Amino acid sequence: MNELNSELEHPVYNYKVVRQFAIMTVVWGIVGMLVGVFIAAQLAWPALNLDLPWTSFGRLRPLHTNAVIFAFGGSALFATSYYVVQRTCQVRLISDRLAAFTFWGWQAVIVAAAVTLPLGLTSSKEYAELEWPIDILIAIVWVSYAVVFFGTITKRKTSHIYVANWFFGAFIVTVAVLHIINSASMPVDMTKSYSAYAGTVDAMVQWWYGHNAVGFFLTAGFLGIMYYFVPKQADRPIYSYRLSIVHFWALVAVYIWAGPHHLHYTALPDWAQSLGMVMSIILLAPSWGGMINGIMTLSGAWHKLRDDPILRFLVVSLSFYGMSTFEGPMMAIKTVNALSHYTDWTIGHVHSGALGWVAMITIGSLYHLIPVLYNRERMYSIGLINVHFWMSTIGTVLYIASMWVNGIMQGLMWRAYNQDGTLTYAFVEGVAASYPGYVVRVLGGAIFLGGMLIMAYNVYMTTRRDVPVQIPATSASAA
Amino acid sequence: MIQHTIGLLFRPRTQWHIVAKLPEKSRNVLVLYPCILALFPAIAWYFGTSKVGWTTGLQGNVVRLTTESAFQISVLFYLVMVGSVAIIGYFIHWMSRTYGAQSTVAKGIVIAGLTATPLFITGLVGFYPTLWLDLLIGVVAISWSVYLMYLGIPIMMKIPEERGFLFSSAVLAIAMVVLVSIMVVSILAWDYGAAPAFTDG
Repeated sequence: MNELNSELEHPVYNYKVVRQFAIMTVVWGIVGMLVGVFIAAQLAWPALNLDLPWTSFGRLRPLHTNAVIFAFGGSALFATSYYVVQRTCQVRLISDRLAAFTFWGWQAVIVAAAVTLPLGLTSSKEYAELEWPIDILIAIVWVSYAVVFFGTITKRKTSHIYVANWFFGAFIVTVAVLHIINSASMPVDMTKSYSAYAGTVDAMVQWWYGHNAVGFFLTAGFLGIMYYFVPKQADRPIYSYRLSIVHFWALVAVYIWAGPHHLHYTALPDWAQSLGMVMSIILLAPSWGGMINGIMTLSGAWHKLRDDPILRFLVVSLSFYGMSTFEGPMMAIKTVNALSHYTDWTIGHVHSGALGWVAMITIGSLYHLIPVLYNRERMYSIGLINVHFWMSTIGTVLYIASMWVNGIMQGLMWRAYNQDGTLTYAFVEGVAASYPGYVVRVLGGAIFLGGMLIMAYNVYMTTRRDVPVQIPATSASAA
Repeated sequence: MIQHTIGLLFRPRTQWHIVAKLPEKSRNVLVLYPCILALFPAIAWYFGTSKVGWTTGLQGNVVRLTTESAFQISVLFYLVMVGSVAIIGYFIHWMSRTYGAQSTVAKGIVIAGLTATPLFITGLVGFYPTLWLDLLIGVVAISWSVYLMYLGIPIMMKIPEERGFLFSSAVLAIAMVVLVSIMVVSILAWDYGAAPAFTDG
């Protein structure tokens, strides 16, 4: 830490690690989404694979998912959880050195992923592609994270553990368990290993992990963010504290069972598929508990919307959360899944959660967080936040809508048959019919990415001390 | 009713104010509006899928549905459209108290029905099904409908615009949930008796 930054130091809290993670959230967001836009373009214009193995879709796709989930989403979770746990426990992180280790360790994991995945080194497990040496590093960093987080909670000066910390805590513990069990493997050499499980069991362990990566990494963790930043930005207490506790336990208890819906109509025993389906449908209730709590908290702050685009990010993110957590259980119904599985509908569903919920709530929280961390009253430009808001919303809607159309169309075309029993369409006709949707998706993704670039500029100008904050004279009309 | 259609398409703000000023009785008559306008897309798609047909561009064979199948699906399509408007309208009414507005179920349905005007009108593209063109027109129609809703809810509910923004966003979330439900119900219907029957082309 150089001397210029010393004036930023908070007398009690460790903001340095929060700042580092917050900045890297923006950086990795741009990198991950750029790769995403590129591979989306590859699906529309396959020549962009460049006929090179390192730039082919199969290798870049895991790079995209790892970058946005673990680099962008992970950094956001580290930043916000370290911030929230200090503020709500009114105590500094127990160890600055261990916290710094989690930052540099996590960045090392990301760089290692960015190198090994294009080289084709993969365990072939979706969202857990990284090979065993990196998996071990992840486990070490994650356990250190748990030590810092829970250690800070045990040292707290408040008697009460705020609900956001419950969600962060559940996310940290569960991800540790999921990662360690799913990544268990037999190494052959430094860059190759085989899963410890075989056949259907391997698939079930993988999707138990895979679905709960969504459930705990991308849902519970981000609900933790929601439970701190939504009341804070709205300047109102949580609508119902009781609801938050009830839906916390319901969510934690039910999510872990939903994995088998990724394996409908496979070799997985039928009863396990049906159990996964039933649990997925039940999951709607606790998921919506969080949405209702957030929306109702925000609804009392409607008068602030005029000059606070951050609130809009939070409102819209909760709307998308509500929509995608409704869509998920519907798609887990076996009859529906028979059509939707393997189509673009699934990709659209994932992105309504990833762009609409995870990215939007992260962006909203960062716009709240960055000025606090850099001792500023507000972001450099409120107008640019507003522009970013509209770009994110339009980008997400274009993405989801195009994938809905493509997905339904693919599902219908694949199963259509003539009265004489022959298939109405050849498979390739489904691919050709998907082309317009692929182009719209590239457009939507590019608009969303463009918004992130605007955010990066706004963040950069906020962190510079020689630039005054823009007076928000126009923000009222920008509503 | 036709003046509302044209008004909402060409001078939406003025038209919303006109509707908002209607006495309650004549406003409630507009509950019939979506029931009538939903006939346009249903008839158009019946004709387009059974008589005109479509191609997927590779083989050039024209794909059509049999008349019975197209009729069955068009009737279901009509019911789904009217049902969705009714459900969204009910939720508009249901949420109105949260946002400090006076409302009835009929008023909610009128708002939902009028908002869907662009979708009903552009549903006429069904007479000549061409995927990319219909998609393009559909995106424009949805954008116009969403704009109409953000414009219309504060006017109809007589609430400030910022509160209307939140209200409209909540309605949009409901509409997306209804849309997903439609997709799911269509698939279930496919499996339980309403699968389309194609002519042998």
